[in-house]
Amino acid sequence: MTEDVKIGVYVCNCGTNIAKTVDCDAVVEAAKALPGVAAARTYKYMCSNPGQEMIVDDIVQLGLDRVVVSACSPRMHEPTFRKALEKAGVNPYFFEMANIREQCSWVHDDAEAATDKAKALTRAAILRVARHDALERRSVDMNPTTLVIGGGIAGMSAALDIADAGAHVHLVEQSDHLGGNVARVDLTAPYLDSARDILTERITRVVEHPRIQVHLQGEVEEVTGFVGNFIARIADRGGNGQGAPLSVDVGSVIVATGYKEFDAHRITHYGYGKLPNVVTSFELEKMLRAGRVETKEGKRPQYVALIHCVGSRSAEFNSYCSRVCCMTALKYAHEVKAAVPGVYVSDIYVDMHAFGKGHEDFYRRSSEVKTLFLMYEKGESPVVRKAAAGDDCEMLIEVDEKLSGETIEIPADLVVLMVGMEARPDSERVAHLVNISRDKDGWFIESHPKLDPVATTTEGIFIAGACQAPKDIPDSVAQARAAAGRILARIARGRLEVDAMFAEVDEDKCSGCRICNDLCPYTAIEFDEEKRKSHIISALCKSCGACVAACPSSAINALHFTDAQIFAEIEGVLL
Amino acid sequence: MTFEPKIVGFLCNWCSYTGADLAGTSRIPYAPNVRIIRVMCSARIDPTFVLKALHDGADGVLICGCHPGDCHYSEGNYKMMRRYPLLKRLLADYGVEEDRVRLEWVSASEGQRFADIVNDMTERVRELGPSPVHRNLVSDAVER
Repeated sequence: MTEDVKIGVYVCNCGTNIAKTVDCDAVVEAAKALPGVAAARTYKYMCSNPGQEMIVDDIVQLGLDRVVVSACSPRMHEPTFRKALEKAGVNPYFFEMANIREQCSWVHDDAEAATDKAKALTRAAILRVARHDALERRSVDMNPTTLVIGGGIAGMSAALDIADAGAHVHLVEQSDHLGGNVARVDLTAPYLDSARDILTERITRVVEHPRIQVHLQGEVEEVTGFVGNFIARIADRGGNGQGAPLSVDVGSVIVATGYKEFDAHRITHYGYGKLPNVVTSFELEKMLRAGRVETKEGKRPQYVALIHCVGSRSAEFNSYCSRVCCMTALKYAHEVKAAVPGVYVSDIYVDMHAFGKGHEDFYRRSSEVKTLFLMYEKGESPVVRKAAAGDDCEMLIEVDEKLSGETIEIPADLVVLMVGMEARPDSERVAHLVNISRDKDGWFIESHPKLDPVATTTEGIFIAGACQAPKDIPDSVAQARAAAGRILARIARGRLEVDAMFAEVDEDKCSGCRICNDLCPYTAIEFDEEKRKSHIISALCKSCGACVAACPSSAINALHFTDAQIFAEIEGVLL
Repeated sequence: MTFEPKIVGFLCNWCSYTGADLAGTSRIPYAPNVRIIRVMCSARIDPTFVLKALHDGADGVLICGCHPGDCHYSEGNYKMMRRYPLLKRLLADYGVEEDRVRLEWVSASEGQRFADIVNDMTERVRELGPSPVHRNLVSDAVER
């Protein structure tokens, strides 16, 4: 089977991303010398249309039946090239990728070593692809009912789009009300429109929607099954109705669990928790919503100071920017001035991040309402202390002002800490629940940062809103509606194509020892008592290969990850 | 000339391979000695793969999976964790030094950690010198 193959090998320059370090022509020459290689070429961008056409043309004209592309990570473009093979009438599994960008040119400076490694990885892919089998993709039913975890602005927006299109939604919210963090906000930046107005429309529609079932004080305890066919167990954590958990069948899951704010107690030099009039942005929101901005003593503040980047962009706490605090601080400059006429507002910032639509104009307008802007160097945070008895203010803030180069003392009666966003403490539990990954800061990881920002590495599980990374309302809603759109496209097709990979038992070799039976985390292996053989239910198998490696008779075969294929790869990298 | 060891890396698709990709996208430089083979889960790594790699001339073998508790398949890495000591005992019997075969956990966000492990392992195997494994020693175990 491996002797009469005709393999095409395509080495991508990736512009200069690969070609600047790896000698792509040398990789092609080395490939040409290997058995079964009928064509080998380089091209500027293999993933481009002309690049894919090159493969399709070669397949048709040269009669190729296997293809290797040496380029980026298969996690990026394996599906792209599999489609090209399909287009040319070749089984998409007669394809293998060698990762010579992420694993060679981007991490090695030594051109010779990088080229040698690229040759070895390409060789491994060539030897492997010769042993590939044609596989047929499986198709599964797509249950249109969708589970949305989190009843904030993102979760509600996704639920509404799906329900409006005709499918049913279970919306599970941990607290006793919908709205999430947006419900804690008074006005929104940059147009100063009411958060309550935005939310009321969403909440009313969600609650009244005939196809949305809201589970307040609910907790998703378990998600089992696979894409299109999940089973979720929802527990009622409410005071009264603590009945048995509800089990629901769903086809897709959207995780929209949001964020929590940074705990300002962790920064001691701002005096939060010690000085009574140092408050967080959410505590100020509460005052603004009540229409009363005052000190703890019930006095009208004469001086209000806003301190940016509390817990964000710091080496000590979170290195990332929380994205919403700059515009929120500008919003406070407007709102506080409206609530307390004659108040002096100082805005103590590191850099003003005004990246969004309408934000730069909002910044300009805020400068015009007589806000005192003071810039400090990242890492050299201001210090808040209690003022002396004779001073006409409650507190003094010492700032090493960057633009003037001077140390300035600012009076304040109310200090507002612009606390950043953090991943929720239960993000680890949620990640395990739906089997997705978290980054170093605890945010859920998307399938691809640019091309697939709403899907995850687990098929059928999507993420939306600030559980993925700090986001403002428009971005959260956009991601939520994108997730809904992805799910609706699948619902419209009715059935889903899933990967052809699974494990199967060779009954002639199976001794019936049953070692594999308990190993499977998905209980996909059953035992046929009559035949005394184990059998794998392919729909449940997720192709991890645990049973394959454990079988003492080598009776289990992992499709697309067979022993022969991996052995060929080992030989290839070491040749 | 310094000895450049050849190391075969078996990486699970979901955590470790993605972590290695992150080292790439983050442009974290590391030693070019490890050649990566992707498997879906560390539980798929048959001890025979390691023996085969040593038999075919690898000076070291690196196995990477998700951190305990983080496995994409819930518990595959625990299976690897249990097989590993048995494999190491077998390798010790054949005179394969401790540092030549290594099991590490690398998550999808640990590009730097992956690079550090590769650099450290390359250094240690370089110090050990070429693998003493003679083809005949392990061929019985591999041919099956």
